[in-house]
Amino acid sequence: MSESRNAYIDAFPAEAKVVRAAFYSSFLALALGGVFGIIQTLHRTDVFRFIDSTDYYTVLTAHGVFLVISFTIFFLVGIFTWAITTSLDRSVKDIRFTWGWYSLMAIGITLTGVAILAGFTDSIDMSADVLFTFYAPLQGHPLFYIGLVLFIVGTWLAGADWFRTWWAWKQENPDERIPLPTFMVLTTMLMWYIATLGVAASVLLFLLPWSLGLIETVNPLLTRTLFWFFGHPIVYFWLMPAYMMWYIMLPKVSGGKLFSDPLARVVFVLFLILSVPTGIHHQYLDPGIAEGFKFIAMTNTMFLLLPSLLTAFTVVASMEHGARQRGGEGYFGWLKALPWRDPVFTGMALAGLMFAAAGFSGMINAGMNINYLVHNTFWVVGHFHLTVGTAVALTFMAVTYWFLPQVTGKALWNRSVALGQVVLWFLGMTFMSNAMHRGGLLGIPRRTAEPQYDGFEFEASVGSVAELDAQIALGGILLTLSLVLFFANVIGTALNGRSDTLPDNSYAETLSGPEDAPKVLDNLKLWTIIAIILVIFAYTFPLLSIIDRGGLFGPDINPFPVSIETIPMLAMALEGYTTAAVASAGEFAQATLLGVIR
Amino acid sequence: MGQATDTVERTEIGHDEFDPIGTLALIMVYFAILVALWLFMYFVEFLGNDPTVTGAVVPVVGLI
Ligand code: HEM
Ligand SMILES: [Cu+2]
Repeated sequence: MSESRNAYIDAFPAEAKVVRAAFYSSFLALALGGVFGIIQTLHRTDVFRFIDSTDYYTVLTAHGVFLVISFTIFFLVGIFTWAITTSLDRSVKDIRFTWGWYSLMAIGITLTGVAILAGFTDSIDMSADVLFTFYAPLQGHPLFYIGLVLFIVGTWLAGADWFRTWWAWKQENPDERIPLPTFMVLTTMLMWYIATLGVAASVLLFLLPWSLGLIETVNPLLTRTLFWFFGHPIVYFWLMPAYMMWYIMLPKVSGGKLFSDPLARVVFVLFLILSVPTGIHHQYLDPGIAEGFKFIAMTNTMFLLLPSLLTAFTVVASMEHGARQRGGEGYFGWLKALPWRDPVFTGMALAGLMFAAAGFSGMINAGMNINYLVHNTFWVVGHFHLTVGTAVALTFMAVTYWFLPQVTGKALWNRSVALGQVVLWFLGMTFMSNAMHRGGLLGIPRRTAEPQYDGFEFEASVGSVAELDAQIALGGILLTLSLVLFFANVIGTALNGRSDTLPDNSYAETLSGPEDAPKVLDNLKLWTIIAIILVIFAYTFPLLSIIDRGGLFGPDINPFPVSIETIPMLAMALEGYTTAAVASAGEFAQATLLGVIR
Repeated sequence: MGQATDTVERTEIGHDEFDPIGTLALIMVYFAILVALWLFMYFVEFLGNDPTVTGAVVPVVGLI
């Protein structure tokens, strides 16, 4: 029986259990997050209000934290464990260690979740309505931070587990190239280690001691900056597993091969080195950070477009390869030859399409002056429901339809429901996100329970606010229905009996393989060092000047002598230097222009 | 899953025969949309609102 079947659970029964546990944890978070999502949607559009507006931030915090911390990251550790074991074709070194980090993550997020949800009741003196960005001056119960620390330490240990497995493999295969899925896992984790230093510093040095009452005050700008040091790269921690799926699963389900293994490696290396030194682009409107530093962050951000465009090309080319192999023809006719009835394919393809749309709103966000137009408006919420809320979430749900049978040994409950589910998500998000973007342009704020004001109307040049609200509520309802279908399939599959006809555990082959990739791409040490250097360049001076101006622990007290005389001088020198450089570039441009005109 | 239920005829296309012309076509369309939206942005940002922080390159970037 088992001989004929070659699913993941057959080759790696012990690991399949961990992956399954991670998936179920992830789905539980998705369910909770979804419930809070629809509550706040109906509340702020004034379609249906049954909670008190003062509880809105508890709902919003739960929605944010459960979805972008636990749903995404639990799913990530599941597929990364699958990727390592499958592509290296070996078990983890010690399955107890693997269960160890999984448990740590589960315990941690439970504590954090309890701290948040306790905010709903007055009978316990506990709350953490700090939103998923949790920087000062918002303060949560210590349990919130402690749980978060445990969760993140869990992910660090997970990374150690994967590195350990790779090292063991390398001993036995010293001359082989790192298999692509493993390469993706390792680069992502290196990026994560660098990124989480920011949040570790912020939580352990400031927020936790502050919430425990050990220190009186903190420097809010410092905790914000440290948060965004981590808050931008976490975006890539959500995206990179989705990218991995687009590179190694999508070509296969399209019926083709990955167009280029070397390009995929280049993309992941670029993410490793460019993800962190860009965080300040979330702080374009923060006073207290010099414009020059913001400009540097913007430049780095624009460079980050490169790996995303490379991905668009490689992934679409791989899909086209599949379509042509299936007989597709013409400039656009090949699109019809793609397997649109397969929920795994369609879900991922629609997710990619949404991501392309998000590319535009992201470019608006990234531009320093255009950002002023949309900063902290509903536009931003529209933007990230396209990125993490669809490109990532819909990809994860779509591949679940392939992974779930692999890790349970049971057939998927219903493929048609699955297809309906991914299409419904796409539709719902089209309504909701489009209206959010438009609302943002009118100036409707995000993070607001009742954005309806007496004696003031948002002016819509096209349509009306009532129409936007209706679309947002409709979109939210479609999304919620989509989630219901998703969970029906997860539960239905879990209740299914064992299946003997599962597809083999495999991932996409390549048209151009690792032998075409320069060896230096696999030099992880080199890329890590470059990444660290860029971070030092981007952050040393902003951090020092924030501390210099506001104090390490806030504006009033200066317990540590941070006044190394040279620091402000250096910072000023750098500022002066960039100013001079840009100014002279400007003069040069002007002179040339005048010359040309004359 | 796609694989198992797929009954479509396959023709093997290797690296050298494959010319991703459709990808090029799609990406051109995407760029055209991006450019159009970018131009449209001018009307939303600069004509639809009072001026925000605008001016020559130098004052925006340099004066810290
Ligand atoms: C049923 C589907 C969903 C609905 C109806 C929904 C609705 C909303 C709404 C209306 C807001 C804005 C609230 C405000 O700013 O006042 C929001 C915020 C947010 N959503 Fe969703 N959402 C859904 C799914 C998702 C998913 C799948 C993710 C990510 C994986 C996500 C991540 C977020 C985040 C991070 C915020 C920002 C929280 C904050 O401002 O602190 N949402 N959501
Ligand atoms: Cu960012």
